[in-house]
Amino acid sequence: MEDREDLAVVFGIALEALGRANTDVIVLDSDIADSCQTEGFRRAFPDRSFDLGVAEQSLPTFAAGLALCGKIPICNSFAVFAVTRGLDMIRQSVCYNRANVKIVGHSAGQTMGYTGPSHHTVEDVAALRALPGMAIVTPCDAVELRQMVAAVAAWDGPVYMRLPRVSVPPVHDPSYRFQMGRTDRLAEGHEVTLYASGDVVHLALTTREELAAEGISARVVNVPCLKPLSDEEIVAQGRDTQAAVAIEDHSVHGGLGGAIAEAYARWLRKPLARIGIPDTFTESDDYNRLREKYGISVPAIRRAAAELLKSNR
Amino acid sequence: MKRALDARIDREEIVALKLRSIQARRFILNLGARHRIRLHYGAMTSVVDILTLLYDRWLTLDPARPGWESRDRFVLSKGHAAPALYVTLCQAGFFPASEFDGFRRLGSRLQGHPDRCKTPGVDCTTGSLGQGFPVACGMALSAALERAPWKAYTCISDGECNEGSTWEAALIAANLRLDRLVVLVDVNGKSSYGRMEGRNGVEPLADKWRAFRWRTFECDGHDFVSLSRALAEAETTQKEPAVVLCRTVKGKGIPWAERNDARSNYLLKDAHCAEALASLNAQEEELRRGGS
Repeated sequence: MEDREDLAVVFGIALEALGRANTDVIVLDSDIADSCQTEGFRRAFPDRSFDLGVAEQSLPTFAAGLALCGKIPICNSFAVFAVTRGLDMIRQSVCYNRANVKIVGHSAGQTMGYTGPSHHTVEDVAALRALPGMAIVTPCDAVELRQMVAAVAAWDGPVYMRLPRVSVPPVHDPSYRFQMGRTDRLAEGHEVTLYASGDVVHLALTTREELAAEGISARVVNVPCLKPLSDEEIVAQGRDTQAAVAIEDHSVHGGLGGAIAEAYARWLRKPLARIGIPDTFTESDDYNRLREKYGISVPAIRRAAAELLKSNR
Repeated sequence: MKRALDARIDREEIVALKLRSIQARRFILNLGARHRIRLHYGAMTSVVDILTLLYDRWLTLDPARPGWESRDRFVLSKGHAAPALYVTLCQAGFFPASEFDGFRRLGSRLQGHPDRCKTPGVDCTTGSLGQGFPVACGMALSAALERAPWKAYTCISDGECNEGSTWEAALIAANLRLDRLVVLVDVNGKSSYGRMEGRNGVEPLADKWRAFRWRTFECDGHDFVSLSRALAEAETTQKEPAVVLCRTVKGKGIPWAERNDARSNYLLKDAHCAEALASLNAQEEELRRGGS
C-alpha cells in the first residue's frame, strides 16, 4: 500500500507547477484552501490567489469575468458546493458565456465519508453533462491527475474536474498520456467490458483478476473524460464484448453509467449493469464501507458481470 | 470624456444627449409595435438615459473593434432590458439598425437577453439576475491584475438587490478593494411584479451599500448633469468599489405607464404607444426650439 498517493496532495503540487508554467492561471478559493490543497500555489503566487470566502456561488461568476479578460481561473471548493450551489452561475455565466473557467470539485463522490450526505456529491456529473460546452474529467491515479491538470488548463473552454479525496494505487506507468475526449483501455479481455472512472478504476482491475479465476475474460476501460465522450469511443471499447458494467462513485443516473447506456442503446444493444449509488441520499461512515453498502466493490462488480454473461449465454 | 456636465457650460452637449435618449425611446416603442411583442418597457425606459450617457460619452470604446483589449467593459446585469442596450449599441455604431429586422428570431444576433457570443459590443451574457454584477467584479479584478487603464461598469436593478448573489459579490468586491469597478443601480422602485415597498423592499439602499463598505453616490438617473456628476465622483475612488444609485422612473417617457403605475413587462396598446410617440415628438420639438 506504500505506493498509494493522495490525489488531493498530488493536485496541489501539480497546481503549483501549472502556476509556474502559465502566468495567466489564477486560483480562486472559497475558505477551504487547506482542504483543496491550494496553499502551495497561494504561497508561491500570492498575487494570483484570491480567497472569496464562504461564497461558492460567486466562484463561477468572478471566474467568468476573469476568463473573459483572458485569464485562466481555477475555482476550488468541495464538489458538492462547487457544482450544485453554483449551478445557475455555471450554466449562465460560464457555459452560455463560453468563459474559459476551470472548476475543481474537491472531495468528490462519497470521499468525505464521515462528514455525511450533505457533503457527498452523487449528482455532479449528471448535472454538468447536460450543460452545453462543459467538459468533465476525473482522474483514476496520480499519473493521470498530473497530466490532467495541465490538459485542463490547455483546453479552450469550461472544464469540471471531479477530484475525489482518496489515496489510490497507481494504475498507469509514467509513459501513459491522458487525452481529452479519449477512453483508455487498461487491460484486454473479450467477454465483458468493465468501464470505470475516477478512483474506483482500480476496483475494476482487481475484479478482472477475480473474474479470470472464474474463467471469465474482462476488458477494463478507464473513462477519465466523461465529456466530450463520443459514441465512437464507447463503441470501439464495447463492440466485440458481449456485455458491459459501468462503475462509478456517483449516482447511477446520468453519470458514467448513463453515458454508456446512451451509446449502448443506440449502437450496441448489449446488456449493461450500472454500479453506483442508487436514487438515494447516502449516509455517514468510512468511504470504503459506504462503497460496499452501495455495491461499489469488487464482489458486487464480479457478481454483476458474471450474471450478465450468464443471462446472455 | 469622463467628466461632470455643467448645465450652463455644456448646454449643447446636454441637448444632444437628450435628443439621443428620445431617439432611443422612440426606437424601443416602434420595435415593440412592429413586432407586436411583450417587452420590459418599464425596465428599458428607466435605464435608457444611463445607457445613453455611458455609450455616448463615458465609456472608452471602439465600435469598429468590439473586442479591443483596452476598452472599458460594460455588463448589463439587468439583462431583461436588452433592447435598450441594443439600441444604444446601434446608436454607438456597433451594428446597423437593420439588425433589428430579425430581432429575437432564429439566426438573429439580437437574442431576448444579451448574448456576448452573438452581439457585437455585448461584453457579457446575462439574463439570470444577480450574475452580471459578479462577472463585472471578475473583470475589474483582471484589470487590477494587469494594471490596465480600463474599468468595468455594470448596471443592476433595485429588484436585483433581492438576489443573495448581489450581496455576496458586494462583500467580496469590498474585500478585494476593487476600485476599477463602478456599479450603477437603476433604482426605479419596482421589480417585475410591481412596487417593491412593503413586499420585497430593499431600501434604504444607500445605507446598505455603505454598510458593505462601498463608496456610495446618489443621483437622478434621468438627469444627465446629476448622473455625470455622480459618475465623475465615483471614478475618483481608490481602494474601494463605487456604486451610483440612480433614482429613476419605471416607464419613463410612456405617459400611460407613468399615469398607471405600470409594471415592467407588457404588450403596449397601440393608443398608448401613439400617445408616447407624440409626447416624445413634442419633447424633441421643444428641445430643437431651444427649450429644455
